[in-house]
Amino acid sequence: MKLLWLNLLSCNGNVHSFLNYPNIENFLKDFTFIYHPTLDTSYSLKDIVSKDIDCDVLLIDGTLEDGHTKADVDIKEIINKYGQKVKKIITVGTCASFGGIFLNDESTKYGLHFRQKVEHDRYEQFKEKTINISGCPIHPEILVNTLYSIKKEYHLKLDLYLRPKEFFATTIHNGCTRNEYFEYKIDNHKFGNLEGCMFYDHGCQGPYTNGSCNKILWNEVNSKTRVGHPCMGCTEPTFPKENLFETKTNMGIPQYLPLGVPKRAYLSLAGVAKAFTIERFHTKING
Amino acid sequence: MKTKKELKKEIIIQAALELFSKKGFYTTTIPDIAQSLKMSVGNMYNYFKSKDILAKEIIKHISHYLGEQLKSINEKEISTEEKTKQIVAVYFETANLKPEMIDYFLRVFLSNREVFKEGCEGMICVNDFVTEIMIYFEDGVKNGELRDQDFFSAFGLFMGYLGGMVFLKGENILPNNLDSYIDDISNNIYKALKV
Amino acid sequence: MIELIEKIEGEAKLNFSFKNKKIDFVDIEFLSSRHIENILKGKNPLDALVINPRVCGICNHAHLIATVQALENCYEDIEVSQKAKIARELTLNFEIIQNHFKWIYLTLFPLLGFKQNIKGATYPSQLMAKAIATIAGQYPHNSYAIVGGIVSEITTNDLIKMENYLDEVIKFYQETIVNADIEDFLVCDSIEKILNANGDLPLILNTLKNKKISKIGKSFDRFIAFGDNSYFKSGRGVKTKINHNINVKYVNEHLNKNSYAKNVKFKNYYYEVGALSRAMINKTPLIKDSHRRYQDSIFSRILARICEIPQLLIHSKKLISQINLEEPSYIKPKKDISKLNASGVGIIEAARGSLIHKVNIKENKIIEYQIITPTQWNLSNGSKYDLGISQKAMAGLEDTKLAQIVFKSFDVCSVCTTH
Repeated sequence: MKLLWLNLLSCNGNVHSFLNYPNIENFLKDFTFIYHPTLDTSYSLKDIVSKDIDCDVLLIDGTLEDGHTKADVDIKEIINKYGQKVKKIITVGTCASFGGIFLNDESTKYGLHFRQKVEHDRYEQFKEKTINISGCPIHPEILVNTLYSIKKEYHLKLDLYLRPKEFFATTIHNGCTRNEYFEYKIDNHKFGNLEGCMFYDHGCQGPYTNGSCNKILWNEVNSKTRVGHPCMGCTEPTFPKENLFETKTNMGIPQYLPLGVPKRAYLSLAGVAKAFTIERFHTKING
Repeated sequence: MKTKKELKKEIIIQAALELFSKKGFYTTTIPDIAQSLKMSVGNMYNYFKSKDILAKEIIKHISHYLGEQLKSINEKEISTEEKTKQIVAVYFETANLKPEMIDYFLRVFLSNREVFKEGCEGMICVNDFVTEIMIYFEDGVKNGELRDQDFFSAFGLFMGYLGGMVFLKGENILPNNLDSYIDDISNNIYKALKV
Repeated sequence: MIELIEKIEGEAKLNFSFKNKKIDFVDIEFLSSRHIENILKGKNPLDALVINPRVCGICNHAHLIATVQALENCYEDIEVSQKAKIARELTLNFEIIQNHFKWIYLTLFPLLGFKQNIKGATYPSQLMAKAIATIAGQYPHNSYAIVGGIVSEITTNDLIKMENYLDEVIKFYQETIVNADIEDFLVCDSIEKILNANGDLPLILNTLKNKKISKIGKSFDRFIAFGDNSYFKSGRGVKTKINHNINVKYVNEHLNKNSYAKNVKFKNYYYEVGALSRAMINKTPLIKDSHRRYQDSIFSRILARICEIPQLLIHSKKLISQINLEEPSYIKPKKDISKLNASGVGIIEAARGSLIHKVNIKENKIIEYQIITPTQWNLSNGSKYDLGISQKAMAGLEDTKLAQIVFKSFDVCSVCTTH
């Protein structure tokens, strides 16, 4: 299967995250890059933009900007040329999916089909064949498994933002080792500790961010929230928000509640949980 | 639709509330309540297994009653200032129409904590009511009408004030009917909490 | 003649002018920017910890550490535990090591006619990424270093895991780069010994000699490094004369017409940054030997970079043994950063050289942010009469292929340069 990895306004984080895929040598036997930002390929960037090279999947990485060129060719031309001939288009990362961190409030910058939450139709003809894999950076396993799904012609169910439900239907909260503190509404988290849940005070967006970070661990070993680092919501169209290390509350009640949980349900549960003091959750684990 | 059993429970609760109000909580017994309803004591225990359980059910009942009223106010598309007034009005209206309810809350629930210490820890049994107050506060802050502050400071101000007024009424110290104080009191509360 | 250079974490255009069949001048143009310094304006200071790693996918951790140091520098008086400082230096070392391996096997190998060695690049890099993820949660793109320390508690198990990853990379180094005991290699001070050994390092150096290109790529023999830590020393030097007295206030950026990258000078001179500079300032014996013969040619530059791998591997093991787990990971600053009206500077040594971050904060907003990356130093686009480091290094070469080798010997990071 022939892949074209096209970098636009990108930091290359997705490329380096991809290089962390554990079985990358096997992957490279099953797929060929006609162009890649770091790996050797038979074609140069100049070849790609000037010629018509056979390709099965177009991978777009980075924010799109009006008038941006690669090897002196407008990216619109490149995307249209390859978008037409490929079976599938994958937007690799939050920037290509939703605009991401480089939007800078400029209307001339956007993701392939979405600008944050708003859908646009600049490349409407390609919506049917697009799969958005958001994340900043992407998780290598999610990208690779999606590519294998395409190769094996497995049908991937997509959510409203064109992300594979297999990976994006769950929340980051799912599988976090600090869940017990969340369950019992213990809001005593302090940085630098094994204990505590960052949702109440320190900005963790895990309970309402879609992804699999605590299910498929990062680098096969860990995740942000497990070490005490709040989830920054990087798979969502709204990434990045502001004041990321703080939880916005309105008179003590978190502004953003866990995905799909109605306010009254959350508050009732919170009220019940707060009636009890469970000793174990107020003592140091390793103490 | 409430079941026959639920309706019967409500009748019992109402009778209990009236007796507690007249005779006092500790002096009123289950047989007293049964007799006032012309029920057998055995039948009574089918609905409430003990006086303690009845006591807890009553407070949940009151919380639910007030909670439902507050929920319909919260769901209205009106300003927080107007909501404040309507909440105060509902509270005082309940104090007028069902004085035994507020009476129970102040004189039994708040004053006899040992009765409620198991099964009604913290604010669990008044959950319905407290949840609605939380939502009123949260919406107010979100709309930019109320100042963002610690929940308990605001809660204490609101509830302490209302409870205090009802207590004064109960002691026959207030010269006028509770209704006539609605405007001033809701104004004071709103001014204290707003941005 | 314009050539598009690809696969340098982005692209760049080199415009060659020839005179007497030799390269007379090279104009370096970088083609796009994401304007991160603009994006940062008006943002909450702590949000910079999340935004800045996204300057670059291969050295995101360097940007994180520079950012947190710049923010902490805004305080007159802030306490950060030794434990947190060591942790930050460790994870930064892990990233540097990963960069060096990738450069050798993905960039250098093809330049010298060998196929890319995917395993050589990714196997040690993945191990180092795991080591970072052990205490930082994930790699790339984490913000585990925050004002006051780090977010994570470190356990004995974490220390054991990180050391095991280091040991595995050391083993890999001994199997691939130089087949010798790493401790012996570290005290080696003779090029001859390396050239006669087995492994990819001798292969690379001998290839340079066989192709007769060991002496190309010489520049001004001027070195500078600003980041001080337990291993690197700051200072500057011309040839072997080293002066440790430098101040970042003499660093100045200049706009470069037609390019998105800014030039940077210290006291009005262009300087080289990177592994070679660090080795010259630290007076590493093996590099001194190389410099004696080859001065600041690609031979010395390449050797210095590869040598940093074992140095950092062994030094990192030492750092792990120095961590006192009893210390707190995080100490809440007495004053919240939202109350400060101040400016701060953060300087660290990243894989490619000195990275400088300057921030100005007021009323919980970033007023201004300035980032100066290592590639800006090495690839400053000077004029014909005031050549930048890499321009001088490419001048006089006979063909653009050789110029590309010299250009990439500086390990260009296009995304960092334009940020």
